[in-house]
Amino acid sequence: MQATAIGTVTVTIVLLGAFLYARAVLVHFGADVLNQIEISAYLQDGTSPARTEAIRAVLAHDPRVLSVQYVPKKEGLQQLRRRLKGEIDTSILTENPLPNMFRVRVRTPELVPAVAAEIRKMPGVQYVNYGQDVVGKLLQLVAVARRAGIAVIALFILVAGIIISNTIRLTVFARRREIAIMQLVGATNAYIRMPFICEGLLDGLLGASLAVALLEVGRASLVPRLVAALPFVASNVVSVNLGTLVPQLLLVGAAVGLIASWISVGRFLRT
Amino acid sequence: MISLRGVSLVYPNGVRALDGIDLEIGKGDFVFLVGHSGTGKSTLLRLLYREMAPTTGEITVDGIRVECLRRSRVPILRRHIGVVFQDFKLLTDKTVWENVAFALQVTGAHTRDVIRQVPRVLDLVGLSHKSRMYPGELAGGEQQRAAIARALVNNPKILLCDEPSGNLDPSNTTEIMELLLRINLKGTTIVVATHNQAVVDRMRRRVVRLDNGRIVTDEERGYYFLGLGQSQILSG
Repeated sequence: MQATAIGTVTVTIVLLGAFLYARAVLVHFGADVLNQIEISAYLQDGTSPARTEAIRAVLAHDPRVLSVQYVPKKEGLQQLRRRLKGEIDTSILTENPLPNMFRVRVRTPELVPAVAAEIRKMPGVQYVNYGQDVVGKLLQLVAVARRAGIAVIALFILVAGIIISNTIRLTVFARRREIAIMQLVGATNAYIRMPFICEGLLDGLLGASLAVALLEVGRASLVPRLVAALPFVASNVVSVNLGTLVPQLLLVGAAVGLIASWISVGRFLRT
Repeated sequence: MISLRGVSLVYPNGVRALDGIDLEIGKGDFVFLVGHSGTGKSTLLRLLYREMAPTTGEITVDGIRVECLRRSRVPILRRHIGVVFQDFKLLTDKTVWENVAFALQVTGAHTRDVIRQVPRVLDLVGLSHKSRMYPGELAGGEQQRAAIARALVNNPKILLCDEPSGNLDPSNTTEIMELLLRINLKGTTIVVATHNQAVVDRMRRRVVRLDNGRIVTDEERGYYFLGLGQSQILSG
């Protein structure tokens, strides 16, 4: 009986932990991609150096802006040539089609659209590009992952709670004679409740500990293979660890055990 | 010590288990509740230790207003009342000693008090020599004595007995009744619900007769059957 409860908590918390871990990796990965985003602000041809400097100054003083880099058209072309080397023959270009531009990096990805819109309105700026579609979708994905996470976690916890509660209720039922006699001789409800609460708490903690161990084993054996298979996510996945998740999962296990047993004993004592 | 005023209990299905009960039981009294099965004897006892609450009426037990007692205060009431049942209600996986000690331990009593009180009550009921035995190893009368010891270990002022001799043969019944009498002589108020005619007729104590949830007679030195006891005595 006990084993069933502990086992269920273990499974639930393994699922919860795996889910939270995957979410952390995804959020981390998304944030990493987003953090590399920069805003390219292209200037109109013939914008005066004074005007260009004014734009740079405004951006440099903006607290949201991490860095501003001016890329004159000549340098831009050189960079383009280097990037396309061997793919496209850039020697066919007879003149430089690129405008002067600023490369702007902001502190958090969420600031990108707003800052980009402001730059767009500055006199002298012709066009702003930051991969609008990709950023929008990534931001959406991260937001959905966060929100879906809360719902799934709530569901998992509910299931674990119901199972522990049922287990404790069976234990309570098996000991109903003893409980009836306790009540008869004047034991307080708190006194009667205590061992069952402890049992629920222990079930929850044991299940969660087992789950944490399983998760760590799983992570240790799966992550190297994942890194080998998908080299480009390697750095992100490896940098996320279970560290902060462990106390959270143990806490969830303990809390679920405690609350579930409290409810099931309480229901019995009231009748 | 015990006082009921206009106590009625009506079940949700409309059945009237008790109907307008007025009863006063003084300190140190010994009272029999008699009547057929289902006339409300056990129900009346259950009201006294707050296993149930009356629909209407006032119940006072040892100065505690029972019917409006908060749930959290019920254990306090129960520590003033010992209860004994027909089926003993002993824990079969605990020894006699442990069963008696259990009643003290659950109230948070000190180990020192447990060691002092348990031998005292076991001696009182005459079970000192069997304190290490389990209920299954005891005869019915001995089990009931263990149950009485458990009921008394908290030093209650009131002992309620619900058919205490229901499962016992006549000689054991006599012994249990003598034990109750001895306990009563020490000042404990005792209420016994029974339909054991022999016991009631032999002891000649106060008899409260219930019928259909009402008190029909209340005699100071009564017999089990109204009037009939008199003729038995005459013929005997």
